[in-house]
Amino acid sequence: MQEQASKIDMNPDISRRGFIKSCTVAAAALGLSEAMIPKLVEAAESAQRPTVIWLHFQECTGCTESLLRGSHPDIGRLILDIISLDYHETVMVPSGHQAEKSLHDSMEKNAGKFILVVEGAIPTADNGNFCKISGRTAMDILAEVAPKAAAIIAIGTCSSYGGIQAADPNPTGAKGVRDLVSGVPIVNIPGCPPNPITFLGTVLHFLTFKRLPNCDNLGRPLFAYGRRIHDHCERRAHFDEGRFAEEFGDFGHKNGYCLYKVGCKGPETFSNCPAARFNDVDVWPVSVGHGCIGCTEPNFWDSMTPFYERLPNVAIPGTGIIADADSAGMKILGVAAAGAAIHAVVGIAKSKIKGKEKRER
Amino acid sequence: MSYEIKNVWSVLLRLFHWSLVLSIVTLVVTGLYINTPWTNTTLEGSVSFPMATMRYIHFLAGYLFAAAVMVRLFLYIFGNRQERIFDILPVTPRNFKSLTTTLGYYSYLSDKHDERLGHNVLAGIVYIVTFVAALFQLSSGFYMLYPEAAFWQGLGGSIFGTQQEGRFLHHLLMWYFILFAFVHVYLVVWNDLKSPEGLVSSMFNGKKFKHKNV
Repeated sequence: MQEQASKIDMNPDISRRGFIKSCTVAAAALGLSEAMIPKLVEAAESAQRPTVIWLHFQECTGCTESLLRGSHPDIGRLILDIISLDYHETVMVPSGHQAEKSLHDSMEKNAGKFILVVEGAIPTADNGNFCKISGRTAMDILAEVAPKAAAIIAIGTCSSYGGIQAADPNPTGAKGVRDLVSGVPIVNIPGCPPNPITFLGTVLHFLTFKRLPNCDNLGRPLFAYGRRIHDHCERRAHFDEGRFAEEFGDFGHKNGYCLYKVGCKGPETFSNCPAARFNDVDVWPVSVGHGCIGCTEPNFWDSMTPFYERLPNVAIPGTGIIADADSAGMKILGVAAAGAAIHAVVGIAKSKIKGKEKRER
Repeated sequence: MSYEIKNVWSVLLRLFHWSLVLSIVTLVVTGLYINTPWTNTTLEGSVSFPMATMRYIHFLAGYLFAAAVMVRLFLYIFGNRQERIFDILPVTPRNFKSLTTTLGYYSYLSDKHDERLGHNVLAGIVYIVTFVAALFQLSSGFYMLYPEAAFWQGLGGSIFGTQQEGRFLHHLLMWYFILFAFVHVYLVVWNDLKSPEGLVSSMFNGKKFKHKNV
């Protein structure tokens, strides 16, 4: 213990105090009692840091950007103290053949023991030709690396469920990791981007308990995705009391009223955003006046758009027309009323023509 | 031209019917409010909870709707002859004939009226479709009401997908119920005018007037 603590102290950027703080934040995110903090610390500072291989496919590197800006832990502490990040295209030093070599060396040396993190969707159309790294398709790389991993963390909505690449009509056949890999435990950390705290919590959970955290039916850890955003939102009182921003910039918006009527998808979205918040300055979209867009949910580019309306549009079969659900409903009701009116008029006309003889039955 | 009074609808079926009417009207009005709240109070701390109140009424009416649907399921199996499911499915020659006769009668192609004690088979089929729609409406509703309960999460997740997809279907089915209610009332009144048998009042007193020779 003393040795490890002094080892940490040797790095001028990382204080013992900051290190314990990171573990405490992760314990809070996981919903663990403070009695568990020493166990998390022990797991995190053990000499045998778990090897992490981080693969990038169809993505914008936003999840990595979010992690780079994390402060609990900051990226330095994460890759120097908690994990051994052997392959990560954005932050690694080697390039070209050297980079490929470090991937293969690490994979062979730690087969069955390393954590695989996948960022980005995997295109499957046309044999996966839409995404290639050093001449090999994303499908090939995943098929080679995934079976050797101890566990897979799909970070971001793209690697979890396909993300924007999988939005209709999904030209590249983009899919999430869970659609392509079986036999290895997978945990999804969706979000665009997800909170680094959720990632750290999942990693520390794996180190401490030697298994992935409990997940919901979409493979998301319950400690972070078990509750609805709407039920923990700081604007919820405005919702219940019927105070809404009618449009951006109006009186209600300036006064911090509920963003439901400008399309907030908080009531349909599961995430810890209102509790964990982002970037060490305690903000998240709703706190700065923009509704939730539901980025942690599968198919959110299809089912949550238009982002500034409550419900997606209706595609009217066979016409190619899309319409707002309520106006489509009104039109169908109008057609039915017109149909009933015509039906009634035909009946009256017919009885006028045929006369009254039918009545005498 | 002499009539006789026939008992057609049991008390339970009439209770089911009017519970369904009350719950559908309440659910549509409060549901539209929840989707697009048309009040916007600006006074803070004003002891008014329009959204919370509307949601509360919506959930109460939802339970009434669920109870009504369960009663109808019971009557489909254990009700009297007119209320059982085999009386309204086109599975027997008599019922299939009722379907074609009714289609011809409703479209003014023939004057032949299929005079039955219970529902005609066209109406019966639409009621079955509505019953299935009600099951979907209930499961999507409970999926949204109990999003964190394992049972509803598993059921809703496998039928509808995400909460948003469940909500979307819930909203579209609302329009089906509005449409159904409109067409239902129109056709009941139309039938009552065209072939008087006390059709409207039968849902209050359970009795229909039938020709003696039928």
